[in-house]
Amino acid sequence: MLYALEARHAPVVSLWVWYHVGGRNEVPGTTGMSHFLEHMLFKGTPKHPKGDLDRLLARYGAQWNAFTSEDVTCYFETVPKAHYRTALELESDRMRNALISLEETEAERTVIVSEREGYENDPSFLLGEELQAVAFSRHTYGQGVIGSKDEIKLMTRDGLYAHYRRFYAPNNAYVVVTGDDDPERLLEDAASAFGPLEPSRDLGEPPKAPEPEQHGERRIVVHRAGGTLPIVMVAFRAPRATDPRAAALSALAVTLAGTSGGSDGASGRSSRLHRALVETGLAADVDASFQLMKDPYLFWADATLRPGIRHADVERVLLVELAKVASDLVDEEEFERVRRQLLAATAFNTDTITWRAFRCGQLLSTGAANSIGEWYEKLAAVTREQIRDAARDVLTERARNVGWFVPENAA
Amino acid sequence: MNRIERSVLSNGLRLAVVPIADLRSTSVLLAVEAGQWFEPAGRPGIARLMSQAMLRGSKSRDAEAWATAIDALGAVARLDVGQHAAVFSAQCLGSDLRELLGLIAEAIRTPALAETEIEFVRAQTLAQLEKEERDTRAVSDRVWRQLVYPEGHPFRVPPIGDSVVVRTASADEVRAHHRAAIAPDGAVLVVAGGTTARDAAQAAERALGTWAKRAEPRETRHPLATLSTTKHRVELVPDKTQSDVIIGWPGLARTDPRFTAARVTNMVYAADTFASRAGNVIRDQLGLAYYVFSGMGSSRGQSPWIVRMGVNPQNVKRAIEVALDELRKVTLGQIADDDLALAKDKLVGELDVALESPAGVAAMVLEAELFDLGEDHFERYPRELRAVTKDQVVETARVFLPPERYALAVAGPPLPDVLI
Repeated sequence: MLYALEARHAPVVSLWVWYHVGGRNEVPGTTGMSHFLEHMLFKGTPKHPKGDLDRLLARYGAQWNAFTSEDVTCYFETVPKAHYRTALELESDRMRNALISLEETEAERTVIVSEREGYENDPSFLLGEELQAVAFSRHTYGQGVIGSKDEIKLMTRDGLYAHYRRFYAPNNAYVVVTGDDDPERLLEDAASAFGPLEPSRDLGEPPKAPEPEQHGERRIVVHRAGGTLPIVMVAFRAPRATDPRAAALSALAVTLAGTSGGSDGASGRSSRLHRALVETGLAADVDASFQLMKDPYLFWADATLRPGIRHADVERVLLVELAKVASDLVDEEEFERVRRQLLAATAFNTDTITWRAFRCGQLLSTGAANSIGEWYEKLAAVTREQIRDAARDVLTERARNVGWFVPENAA
Repeated sequence: MNRIERSVLSNGLRLAVVPIADLRSTSVLLAVEAGQWFEPAGRPGIARLMSQAMLRGSKSRDAEAWATAIDALGAVARLDVGQHAAVFSAQCLGSDLRELLGLIAEAIRTPALAETEIEFVRAQTLAQLEKEERDTRAVSDRVWRQLVYPEGHPFRVPPIGDSVVVRTASADEVRAHHRAAIAPDGAVLVVAGGTTARDAAQAAERALGTWAKRAEPRETRHPLATLSTTKHRVELVPDKTQSDVIIGWPGLARTDPRFTAARVTNMVYAADTFASRAGNVIRDQLGLAYYVFSGMGSSRGQSPWIVRMGVNPQNVKRAIEVALDELRKVTLGQIADDDLALAKDKLVGELDVALESPAGVAAMVLEAELFDLGEDHFERYPRELRAVTKDQVVETARVFLPPERYALAVAGPPLPDVLI
C-alpha cells in the first residue's frame, strides 16, 4: 500500500517503509529475529554493497534510521527532495535483495548484543521487560522486541534469511511519503520503485495467539544493584488501536501525566500523577502511556521514587489516582486543558516532515485511523465521559500487573 | 532557509523571527547568558538550581497556577542550562505565541524563587544526582570532566552540579545569581514557525521589552584547560553489563575562526556512527560497539570535544585502541579524498534537512545569533564548509585531538584488561 502527503514548508521528502513483522511474529527460541534482521538490512545488496547505502545517504545529509517494535519493522530516509528517487531505489532494492551473508551476520551479532547490554544498564528497561513478560501468558507481546541475549547468540543466518524472504515484500508493506512535491507525483515514483517487486508467497496468516482474559493482579519484584532509585510500574491489559476506546485512552494518558515526559520540564505539571506524586515529594518522576498496537497490549503508568520513599506508599497513591479517574468525571477546566495538550501535541509532531510521515504510517499500520486528519477528529471528539469509561474498563485490579524495582547495595 | 527577520528591542534583547507558512506550531528559544560559563566560581549547580526554581512560580502566580497556564495552552516548555546559555525552549500553537511569551517572561523576569520551591528543586536535583551514581553514561561524563578541567573551571562538573553545592546553596545565593545572571544583555530570542514577523515582534516587545538591562558589565575569567599528558580513570559501576567510554579533549570556542574546519574534522573522524571513520571501523567492520560518535559543544570556552562508545567490557581495550588508531591516521593525513568530500557533503546536506522542523530552524538560527556569526552566515556557511582542505583537517586534529595526549574515562563493570 502506498500513501503520500504533501508538506511544502521545506525542500525535503521523508520516505517510510513499514513492514508487518516484529516481535509478535517470533516464537520462543528466535526472539529478537525481526530486530536482528533490521540490522542486516544495512549490510548491503548485490547492487549496493555494504557501506554504499551509508555513504550515499550521508552525502545528502539525510536523516535516516530504522526501528523494530512488537508489531512492525520500519525504515526511513528524510532527504533533500532532489534525492527522493535515490531513497526509493535504495529501499526497493533492499526490500527483496538484501545479502545477509554469514560473515556479516557474525559481525553484527556482537553489535546487537552490545545494544541489548546498553538497555540492560537501565533499571527501567529491566523492570519493564520483566513486567511485560508477566502480563502476557500466551501472546507473543510478552517476548518484547530485542530478544534474549542467549537467543541473539543462537540466531542463524539461514533463519534470518528465511524470515526476510517471507516478510519483506510489497504485499507485506506500507510505504508512506511526505514532502515537498505533488502527492500524485510522489505516489507515481513510489509505485514505479516498488510495483515491479515480486510479492511474498509465504506470508501465511498473521500470528494468532489471543491472550486469555486476566483474572487477577500479577506482581513481580526485581532486585538489582544497577540502580539507586526505586521504581513502581503498573501495566494494565488494554485494547488494540482499532478499539473505539483508543482515542479516549490516549486522552487518559495525558490526563494522568501530560504529553511530555521528564520532571525537569515545565509541561505536564498540572497532570494528576505529577500533582499526586511529584509535587508531594513521593516521586522524582512519573509517566503514563497508551500505545497504538495491532493487538490488545498495555496501558502503562510508572513512578521513579524519591530516595527513602517506600514502594507501597507510592503504589497506594498511584492506584488511588487511577481509581479516581475511573469513577469521577474530570471537570470542565481540566478536560479543556487535556484536550488542548492532546491536540497541540498532534500539531507539534506533524509539523516536522519526518514525524508527519511516521504518524501517518503508525495510524495506517495499526488500523487506528485512515489518516492523520481522521485520528485528529477522533481525539477532538473524545468526551469527559469517554475518558472516565475507558479508565473504568481498563484500570481494573483484575487486569493489573505491578512491578517494583528494588535497588540493592552493591556487593 | 526562509528569510530571517531580525530586530533589537530597546533593552538590547536580539530577536530573530523565521515565519514558516503552512505550520500551526511555533518554536521558541530564549537564550540568556546564564549557562555554566557564567556560574560563580566553585559553585557548580547554582545555575541549574536557579533555572529549575524559575519554573516554580512567579511574583504574580504560584507554581501550580503557572504550570496550569502552560498546560492550558497545550505548550511544551523547558529551561536547560548549557555550557554558554540557559535556554528556554518551548513549542506552542502559533495563535498562542503572545500568551506563551508572557508566561516565559514571568519565569525569567519575576520568578518567585520562594524558599519552599527552592527546597523542592533541591530535593529533586539530589534525587537525580543519586540516580546518576549508577548511570554509566553520567558517571563517565563526570569522571572525564574531572580529568580535563582544572578546579574552578565551569565545565569541570556537569550542569546538574556538585552534590555539596546543591545541598548547601541557600535561597539567597540562588536569588543573587538570578539578579546577576538573568538580563537581556547578550540574550537572544528566536521564533520559528507558524507566526508572522510582526506578531512575533509585538509579542516579544510586550513580554520582554521592559526587561531591565544589567547595571554593570560582567567579567568572566576562567582557567585554561590543558592536557599535557594522557590521563585515564576507570570507575566501577555495579551490576552493569556494558561500559561507557569517553575519549576526549578540551575543544575550541564557537567563535574561533577554526571552528568550521573543526566541524569537518569531527565528521571525518567520529561524529557519525555510520559515515565517520571511527564508527565505520568500530561498529561496522569489527562489531565492537552499538554506538560510536563524537561531539563538540558550542560555547565561548573550551567545550568538551569527546568520542563516546558503549562497549562490552571484553572489548573496551580494543575499541579504544581502534578509535585512537583512526585518529592517528587523520593526524597523519591518511584521509581518503572521498572521506573528506563525504564529511563536507553531509554537513552541508544536513542544513537543508534541518529545515523540515521549526525546532531545527530555530536551533540553527540561535547558534548563529548567539555567537554573532553574521547576518550572512547561512549564505557563507555552506561555502566555508566546502572550502575546508585536508591540510586544515590534519592541522585541526593535531592541535585539538592529539592521539598521544587525551583523557579517557570508563564507567561500568570490571574490565579484564589494563587499559593503558
